[in-house]
Amino acid sequence: MNGFIVENGGVQSSIQDAGRRGFSDIGLTQSGAMDELAFGYANFLVGNAFNTATIEIALGGASFRAKSEMCIAICGANMQPTCNGHSIALWQTYQLRRGDVIAFGFANEGQFAYIAVAGGFLTPYVYGSYSTSLKEGLGGLEGRKLKSGDLLSTLGARCPVDRRKLERKFIPKYPETITLRVVKGYQEAMFDEKSHETFFNSAYTFKGEGDRMGYRLSGEKVVPSATGILSEPICYGAIQVPSHGEPIVLLKERQTIGGYPKIGSVIAVDCFKLAQLKAGGKVKFKEVSLSEAQRATKAFYTFFKEQEA
Amino acid sequence: MSRSYTIASESSVIVYFGSTIDPLISQEVQKAYQALKSEAYEGFYEIIPSYASLMVSYDVMRFDFDAVCEIIETCIHHAEAITMDEPKIVTIPVYYGLEVGLDLELLSEEKNLSVEEIIALHTKELYSVYAIGFAPGFAYLGEIDERLATSRLASPRKAVPKGSVAIADRQSAVYPTQSPGGWKVLGRTPIAMFDASYDGLSLLHVGDHVRYEAISKEEFLRLGGAL
Repeated sequence: MNGFIVENGGVQSSIQDAGRRGFSDIGLTQSGAMDELAFGYANFLVGNAFNTATIEIALGGASFRAKSEMCIAICGANMQPTCNGHSIALWQTYQLRRGDVIAFGFANEGQFAYIAVAGGFLTPYVYGSYSTSLKEGLGGLEGRKLKSGDLLSTLGARCPVDRRKLERKFIPKYPETITLRVVKGYQEAMFDEKSHETFFNSAYTFKGEGDRMGYRLSGEKVVPSATGILSEPICYGAIQVPSHGEPIVLLKERQTIGGYPKIGSVIAVDCFKLAQLKAGGKVKFKEVSLSEAQRATKAFYTFFKEQEA
Repeated sequence: MSRSYTIASESSVIVYFGSTIDPLISQEVQKAYQALKSEAYEGFYEIIPSYASLMVSYDVMRFDFDAVCEIIETCIHHAEAITMDEPKIVTIPVYYGLEVGLDLELLSEEKNLSVEEIIALHTKELYSVYAIGFAPGFAYLGEIDERLATSRLASPRKAVPKGSVAIADRQSAVYPTQSPGGWKVLGRTPIAMFDASYDGLSLLHVGDHVRYEAISKEEFLRLGGAL
């Protein structure tokens, strides 16, 4: 067999690609990589198409043994990865030999790391995606997080070049304070002027209350004029505000419909940054126009599309 | 009926057809949903209907907001001239025994109705699927008889058994898998709500009609139900 054997699944490691599309109308969540930037770079480095299955490691603690020669890249949170006990760098490719053990400590910067392997992982393709939806128990490996003894087969493809390193200027930083661009929408009119002002002018703290579904932020309360609305579809990045007045940003494993008022949505490329925020980190919101938001999204996906060409 | 187009995010637009649970509004949503779904526009990633709204998530590389709204509006406008297919009627067999109808006694006390009366009220109605969400295949059905309208449990269950048929407010639903939940459970169905072998994966789709049919314990077990 070509591929990895999982020695330790760590806190929560799972197979993820860019996510599942076209099934939200029957209640399936989008799922997919929490940080598509690190995910995209990992695939780019090993010569994969953007939307190729990777291992997403949340927080750390995982280790894997190579059953064959393969080419990998690790991007995202710094979990001090080692190969056979020697520390290895992120944001570049490595040629592994049979028997090599890749082990991760715990993230000191960021929350999610991605291992891409040249050729991708050959896990089952479920409802149009390789992504694991942990909440629904589907996709990836039996719909669950990885555990010791799991086999992750690969094609055993080689890297495009012996060693490929991401240019320094492209390597993202994971600061403790981030600014998230927001497009106003949905029930913005249910929040009065003062609430809008509060929302865009105060700093919120991420106390670690969150998972792949969404992150709750603590701080100045913004109170909508009603506690609930008729349940309606929820998009990626939607900022819902329940009656406790603290915003929750909904991420990859969000529910498909819900009944809390929403002030707008964090733009996709900034949701990736939020995903990497560690507990204790601070968030500020900044309003942007729809066209500015679309430009940012276009620039992101155009970049990766061009790398594929 | 007038519709309003609102920004949901930089790549999603939500169309409001109204703001209440109303069979006529729901029908408008269903019509639009069917029309958009059957057109299968490339770059429309998700088309999600709910009670009185519908959201389209689109590829920003291909469309801007105005272009998407125009396509949706034109599609809905054309669909208005078309008579909708007769809704599919799905019958869901339910065993209303006390060992699976976990809240039957509670509801009986609360509503001052006998268990038989509750079953009669729950099975007499032809329900509409207004929305699907919460979990894969979890269909929100409306509306139950006013005499059964009830609040959610004060303390939600950590694990509602798979197949549980439940009510809350004036809605009813079947739990497709074991999951946490606070709806009051009246019985259990032996049939799967979500299955890879189903055409369309989910037993129910928005716009379908549903009737519950009371079955005996023997029938429930024969159909593969688990107690």
